Amino acid sequence: MEKETWIERRSDAKTIEPIAVVGSPGLRSIGKLVMNGLIAKTDATLIADMYSTHMPTIYDTKPSYAAHPRLPGTGGVIVESGKADFPKVQFYACTNPSLIITQGYHANFEGQYEVAIKVLDFLAENNVRQIIVVAGYGSKDKKICCAATNKELLAEMKEKYSIDIEYRGPFMGFSGLVFGLSKRKGIEALCLFASTEPKEDDLEFPDKEASNRAMDVLDMILGLHK
Amino acid sequence: MNVEIKILKEFVPSQLILICGLPGTAYIGKLSVDYLIQQLKAEMIGEVYSKYFPPFVVIKEDGLVELLRNELYQFKDESGRTIVFLAGNSQAYSPEGQYEIAEAVLEWAINHNVQRIYSVAAYVTEKTFEAPNVYCTTTTLALLEEAKVNGAQFLDNGIIGGENGIITGLAKKKNVEGVCLLAETHGYQTSTGEFVIDPRAAKAALKVLTSMLTLKVDMEPMEKQVVQMDEAIAKMVEIERRIREEMTASGKKPAYVT
Repeated sequence: MEKETWIERRSDAKTIEPIAVVGSPGLRSIGKLVMNGLIAKTDATLIADMYSTHMPTIYDTKPSYAAHPRLPGTGGVIVESGKADFPKVQFYACTNPSLIITQGYHANFEGQYEVAIKVLDFLAENNVRQIIVVAGYGSKDKKICCAATNKELLAEMKEKYSIDIEYRGPFMGFSGLVFGLSKRKGIEALCLFASTEPKEDDLEFPDKEASNRAMDVLDMILGLHK
Repeated sequence: MNVEIKILKEFVPSQLILICGLPGTAYIGKLSVDYLIQQLKAEMIGEVYSKYFPPFVVIKEDGLVELLRNELYQFKDESGRTIVFLAGNSQAYSPEGQYEIAEAVLEWAINHNVQRIYSVAAYVTEKTFEAPNVYCTTTTLALLEEAKVNGAQFLDNGIIGGENGIITGLAKKKNVEGVCLLAETHGYQTSTGEFVIDPRAAKAALKVLTSMLTLKVDMEPMEKQVVQMDEAIAKMVEIERRIREEMTASGKKPAYVT
C-alpha cells in the first residue's frame, strides 16, 4: 500500500472554528463512552474516517493503549452490523455548538505518532480552535481533574468550573499523544480526567459512572446542559 | 518529519563543543549533563522532537502536558567557547530512531562548526569497587591520551548502547573529534525495571569531563546527592534484610528469585 495512514471523507464539515473533542478506548473506555454519548446528544454527522496500517484489530498488549515496540498486534477487519471495515479513527461534526468529535483508536507502538500527527493535521485543516480530550485516571475519589497546554486554560477551569489539576504522570495512547502534540500544532488543548477504579474481576470494564461524570463537565463547558 | 530540531533563539556559537547526556543505565549521562546545566545556569536554546520517542506524554506537577523530547542548552565560558548540552527525558526506542536523532543533532552541530563532542554513559560491572572508574573511548589516539591524562582509562572492549554511544560512532564517521566517558556502575534496577540513579558514578564522570574541559563547577550539591542515595540504598537493603528474616522465621519462602 502506498500510504500508511489515510483519510476518507464522508461528508462536508460545516463547522466554523470548532472545538474538537477527543476520546479513545483508553482507561476503562471513559473517552470512548463520552464520545459515543456526545455524538448521540448532538446528533453529529460522520465527516471522515482515518485508517492506518498501524492499527491492529487484535492487540498483543493488555490494555490496548500500553503499546510495546516488539508487540505490534495483528491486522484485520472489524465486522459491525454485518459490514466489515478496517479499524479506524472517526470524525463527527455538529454545528450547534460547532464541534468535531473524534472517536480515537490506538495504533501500535510504531504508528502512534503518525496517527496522532495526522489527526491534528485534519483538525487544523478544519480550523479547530481548541481541543478537549477526555480520559480516565486511577483514583479512589470520585472526581474530575484537568491538565492543559497552557496555564490560562488551567486557571479558567478552576475559576469557572472548580476543576483543579491533580493527576501527574504518563498519559499513554492515542489521546495522550493528540493532547501532547496539539501545542506544537499551535492549537491549545485541555484534558479532562475522570477518576476510575478497577473491579477485581474485570480490570478494564467500561466505567459508565466515570464517563457520566466527565460528560456532565463537558456539557457545562460546551453549553450542552438543558 | 522523523526528527525536528527547533531552535528557539538566535544561536551564534564560537568554538562549539557538544556534550550529550541522555537517560540510560543508572541515568549517569542525564545526571551529569543536567547537573552541569544547573550549575552553569545554561540557557535552553532548542528542542528536539521525534516520532521515535516512546509514544506517551507526561503530565507535569503544574498540570501542563509535555511531550518526550531532547533539549539543547548553551553555556558560554570565560574563554569564549560555546558549550551546548544535549539533555532530555527520553531516548529513541529503536536503533533506527537512535541513529536518526543522533545524526540530526550531530549534523546540526557540524553546521555550526563543532570542534568536539563528548558523551557520558554507563559502564555496567558486577565487580566491587571503592570509587567508580571512568573508562573512555575516543575517535583519535591523541584524544585518548588527553582523556587518560585527565583521569579516564582506556576501554578495551565493551558496548555503549543508545544515542550516547551512537553519536560517538557517527562523530568518527564524520571526522569530528569525539570522546565517550563511561562511569562504572552496578546499574541497579527496581522491581519494576526502573534504573536506580547513580550520582556517585555521575560524579566520577564529571570529574574527568570538567577536567578535560577545564571547567570549574561546584561539586558540593552532587556530593549531597551521593550521600542521600547511599542512605536510600542502605534503607532498601535493610528492608530487604528484614523481609528475609521474617520469611525465614515464618518458614515462608520469598516469592521472588534473587
